[in-house]
Amino acid sequence: MESEVNSILFAAHELKAPLSLMRQLAFSLEMAATPQEQAKIRAQIVGVSDRALKQVDDLTKIARLEDGLFELAPVSVRAVCDDVTSELQHLFRFNNRELKIKYSNKSRLVIANRELLFSVIYNFCLNAMHYSGTETRSELSVQDHNGAVQVKIRDFGPALPIDVWRELKRGWLKKPTSIAMRPGSSGLGLYIASKFSRFMHAEVGAIRHRDGTSFFVNLPISTQTSLFS
Amino acid sequence: MIFVIDDDQLMSECITRYLAPRQTAVFSNAIEAMAAINEQTPELIFLDIMLDGPNGFTLLHELASYQDTAKIPIVIVSSLDFSDHELSIYGVVKVLNKDHMTPADIKNSLEFIQNAK
Repeated sequence: MESEVNSILFAAHELKAPLSLMRQLAFSLEMAATPQEQAKIRAQIVGVSDRALKQVDDLTKIARLEDGLFELAPVSVRAVCDDVTSELQHLFRFNNRELKIKYSNKSRLVIANRELLFSVIYNFCLNAMHYSGTETRSELSVQDHNGAVQVKIRDFGPALPIDVWRELKRGWLKKPTSIAMRPGSSGLGLYIASKFSRFMHAEVGAIRHRDGTSFFVNLPISTQTSLFS
Repeated sequence: MIFVIDDDQLMSECITRYLAPRQTAVFSNAIEAMAAINEQTPELIFLDIMLDGPNGFTLLHELASYQDTAKIPIVIVSSLDFSDHELSIYGVVKVLNKDHMTPADIKNSLEFIQNAK
């Protein structure tokens, strides 16, 4: 019960950050001197609200995972990665960061739910953007790994705290965890990614680097012949 | 020069906009900010607490520990509640809550500092 209350408190706290920001952006919109500046601030408000809505949507999905709404089926990993990068590329550029994608295996189908897999990769990428310094590059890579397909996102931010790494090493995050103990962090995003991965029988984990972190998800390969191979 | 230290780039942009036309320098973490403070003493710092890496409290301690930086006025801008904390010993002259603050609060903080001089 205590853990549930803590999870709710954490989620509420994290979701408050974009609301506070949108409030300030609304004030800024009033003060904008030029139509160009107004357009920029409007785009910022839309971007912040979109990401907050996505997070709320993901939280709703967590509550409904067991309702049979998310069937597992053969999914093209590359197609999902392409969709995620296409959606986030603009945001990375806006924040003076770069998102690179690297495929080092042949195109494969994995057993997953497309919608949930999109959220897992999306949350990992957002986390990488958040924790990478300006003008740094995050790399989304897809490769074969021990009979599975591994989607890995490498960032160049602060090293992952050892306790969070240990928990991830055990397989998944049991509760939203604030990385670096900051309210605006993407700890909630990692928790969401962890829950979705577990539902898809995929394995999540993290690799600590001295200059950043790689988060990965290992997805079971579908035995159905890939249409792309 | 006024320093704005916040790891949320958009929030820093908002504060900078409220302070216009005053000259500001924005930093996303305490380490970069401290390096800049060593080069130039700001007349005022707007400081977020929950930063990546060393947090705002670490910076407050650091600033309070040096004679030349101990007197820099600091306005904390945070979503955390500091109503029960006595922070004036760290040079904190005001605490603004990100959830409720308005552009006028930022401008008033600046006027407060100018009047106190």
